[in-house]
Amino acid sequence: MNLLRPRRPGDPYWMLLPTLLLLAVFFFYPLGFAFFKSFYQWDLLTEPRYVGFDNYHALVASGDLWSTFATTLIFSLIVVVGAMALGLGLALLLNRSGALAGFLRAAIFSAYVVSWVSVALLWMWVLDSENGALSALVRGLGLKPLDWLGDPNVALYSLAGVTIWKIAGYAMVLYLAGLQDIPESLYEAASLDGAGAWERFKNVTWPLLRPTSAFVGTTSLIASFQVFDVVRVMTQGGPVKSTTVFVYAIYEQIFMNLRVGRASALVVVFFFLLLGLTALQLWGWRDKESSR
Amino acid sequence: MKLSRRAWLGGAAALVAPLAGCNEQNVPPGRQLVPFWFSYGGKNRKVLEKLVDRYNQSQSVNWVHAVFQGDYFENLAKLRTAAAAKAVPAVSHVVGEVIPYLAEAGVLEALDGYPGAKDLGLVKALAQAGSWVGGEERPLVALPFNRSTPIAYLNGAWLERHNAQPPKTWDEMIALAKTFTTRKGDQTERWGFECPIDWWFWAALVGQAGGQIIEPNGAVSLGGDAGVKAVRLWRRMVSDEKIMKPPPGRDYSAWEVTNQDFLAERVGMIWTSTAFLKYLEENAKFPVVAAPLPAETRAAVPSGGTFFVMLKSAPEAQKRGGWEFLRWMMLPEQTIEWATSTGYMPVATAAIEQLERDGYYKKHPNDRVAYDQLSVAFAWPWSPHLFRIQREIVQPRLEKIVLSGADPAESLKQASELAQREIPGAGGAG
Amino acid sequence: MRTESTGKRVLIYGLMLIGLVWLLPYAWMVSTSFKTLPEIVQAPTAPLPSGLSTEAYREVFHSLPLGRYFWNTLLMSVLISVVQIVVALPAGYALSKLGFKGRGVAFGLVVATLLIPAQVRFVPVFALMADWGLVNTMTALVLPFGVSGFGTFLIRQALGNVPNSVVEAARMDGASELYIVFGLLPRMITPTLVAFFMFSFIYHYSDYFWPLVMTTDDQVRTLPLGIALLREQGTGVRWHVVMAGNVLLSMPVLALFAIVQKHLLRAVTSRGV
Repeated sequence: MNLLRPRRPGDPYWMLLPTLLLLAVFFFYPLGFAFFKSFYQWDLLTEPRYVGFDNYHALVASGDLWSTFATTLIFSLIVVVGAMALGLGLALLLNRSGALAGFLRAAIFSAYVVSWVSVALLWMWVLDSENGALSALVRGLGLKPLDWLGDPNVALYSLAGVTIWKIAGYAMVLYLAGLQDIPESLYEAASLDGAGAWERFKNVTWPLLRPTSAFVGTTSLIASFQVFDVVRVMTQGGPVKSTTVFVYAIYEQIFMNLRVGRASALVVVFFFLLLGLTALQLWGWRDKESSR
Repeated sequence: MKLSRRAWLGGAAALVAPLAGCNEQNVPPGRQLVPFWFSYGGKNRKVLEKLVDRYNQSQSVNWVHAVFQGDYFENLAKLRTAAAAKAVPAVSHVVGEVIPYLAEAGVLEALDGYPGAKDLGLVKALAQAGSWVGGEERPLVALPFNRSTPIAYLNGAWLERHNAQPPKTWDEMIALAKTFTTRKGDQTERWGFECPIDWWFWAALVGQAGGQIIEPNGAVSLGGDAGVKAVRLWRRMVSDEKIMKPPPGRDYSAWEVTNQDFLAERVGMIWTSTAFLKYLEENAKFPVVAAPLPAETRAAVPSGGTFFVMLKSAPEAQKRGGWEFLRWMMLPEQTIEWATSTGYMPVATAAIEQLERDGYYKKHPNDRVAYDQLSVAFAWPWSPHLFRIQREIVQPRLEKIVLSGADPAESLKQASELAQREIPGAGGAG
Repeated sequence: MRTESTGKRVLIYGLMLIGLVWLLPYAWMVSTSFKTLPEIVQAPTAPLPSGLSTEAYREVFHSLPLGRYFWNTLLMSVLISVVQIVVALPAGYALSKLGFKGRGVAFGLVVATLLIPAQVRFVPVFALMADWGLVNTMTALVLPFGVSGFGTFLIRQALGNVPNSVVEAARMDGASELYIVFGLLPRMITPTLVAFFMFSFIYHYSDYFWPLVMTTDDQVRTLPLGIALLREQGTGVRWHVVMAGNVLLSMPVLALFAIVQKHLLRAVTSRGV
């Protein structure tokens, strides 16, 4: 790309000034602050007190750090795999013209547009163990409904299911775009070679969608690592901490337990986790870039 | 040109006002604004808003602006946020457990110096004096508002059908719950008993089993054997006998489900706060029978609910107005209206005497249950750490024992050791 | 012939079943919102209300200053989107068109923000806002989102596709850099700006986390918070009221979505979110 010479040498700098100023105040200073405060005991109300690595130690010793990490990871893996599989399936089904398909595409994607609060409230009602629609349905089939949100062994999966329901439309739209990029001639050639529907999918569609999959996978992984709203509205991290994911743990430490230092330590750990995930994402993007 | 520019600037200023946090409430001219944050919706909210309206009509000096803040926990989170941001309301109400913490953190206004603070005529067991050990000697920071004890609610129709009485002991409670429970296959159609797996009810059980959560010498024993016995009762009713439904959700979600199941006749006996008395009576299709909690080695209940507090960093003029409002709320007329329309206890001695004189309690025996239980209510220790012991250490373990089958004795021993480390203030980080 | 029409019928039924999974919850939400309290208590799963009771809607309007919340939400979302674009335009121009020292570093910093979501920043930003006395103000809701790494990235890409000759010609004509950035170039990349505006608007309209943390009372509280408050009542679950609030919260977005569907899909597919 040919670059122009700035008219005045200072031009690029004032143009970037607002961006850099906001970045400094609202992105980089907070990060340093969290790092600094993670060595203090502080409740926002009284003077902070230096405690060294106590916060980190307490998080590790109580097992909270590990259980929070494991909970978040399980949740994310289910969501990513579920959203990708469902998104791809829906994209394959709905990759056709016609009013019904168009309507369904819009309906499915609408869940992605509606706020998390709406979706969470809606599904709380659907998943109500006694009165909910899902329990009624399961009972109608002659089975015993689970306590979707009240059983510590089930609640996390229920939340993951709701999240998949919400973001599958996003994956579907990206896959649809990917499908449309695949030249029709490749399918024709495969058909001439006598390939059946499954083989065409295996040999043509799937390999050519791999960059899209990498992109969908990494973005939904990062998004699901930051899940908060559904947890806050539906389970408040319970029962028995079974849905206490990272961001909720940070929120709870600062606003419920008034432990800003410990929350900051969690923030620092969380940041490094995201750093790792983003490295993964950049790698995924590069893959998409080079194959185009 | 000049005029239009001014108009434009005015418009811009109106738009920008919320950017800078300018407060433009609709306060009638000449009145002192008194921001008041409250929690709890539904019926309670309606009654409270009516009272605030009436206060605003009844005088022409102050204007109380009531802001709804969700449930107790939400309100508390907002209050602490606001305290940290130095943007507090003059008046709010908070749960008793956190008052020692807020007081020690220097957030609460001492009320002793305000006119008439010495002679409000409050029921001692409900006021700061009787709610905490040594509450009388400390500076006054809290006035009782919606004060409650846990009570038992029973389905009167089911009682009649089984020709049964409200249980007086744990054994009777188990027997009655068994009688109430009906199953179809392996699915329970009707439950005998339901109660949130919550610290408050566990505290009641500990007291009934003869224990104390914090010993007189300050040691956090969590009731010792009594604590274990208390949670074992739940475990037995939930897992072994399958006659008790543990409601899902946390904090008030679980409480709401408990009410809901009772109203829908999916459960015949629940424990919950007196706060829900009128709500349950008005929405039930069957007679609601309120009863004191059963006794094991003795009768005991914790008190609960919220206290009014004033926030130290609020403007002086607002605090003066806030005090007038609080004093008005403590008058018998208001406490009677609050109590008889919700189920909370009237906090003024004169109010109780008047209700007695007017024969109200004869007509509404359910209303009296909580008040009668006050004779066995125990005072909480004045500990700034109590709310953390509750939230971080005990509550998750109670859930774990009852719902996930953790060992009661082992878990509580661990909890007690952790709590002990929390107490001195030097050990815990945060 | 016959088998194909059967196959087609199966496909259509399958598609309709899928549609139900996404549409039934909405239908149930609307249906519940017209029920009354006794209905909710006695027969919660009944698919249809016994009549069109507006009890729940009246209750929502009575218990929340809905107009104010809606206005706050609208103002906040528009301000954020506009500030993001106004800040990103000159930055995107400098990063895509101008050669200068430190260009790579600056771009790296912008991209690095994608690493730092609101959930990582809120504790310190809250403390900062508390220090400045800005908690519970529109500033605390808008300013921390003034820079969007995604938006800057998107606008830089779009500007990169505008030929340099356009800028050179404008400079020849004596146009100032300010005019080029805010007057000329936006017209060349309007579809990108519209798509980004809508994406950002919808995202922040629905945002729950940041307003939850930064607001304390009705002054600047936003609609999702208000509706979530309906849930946190404490006395008993009143699902009809919650669902009525939910209808009021989601309908404007769904209506907007129906109108701008195509643009929004372009924003999503252009480079993910």
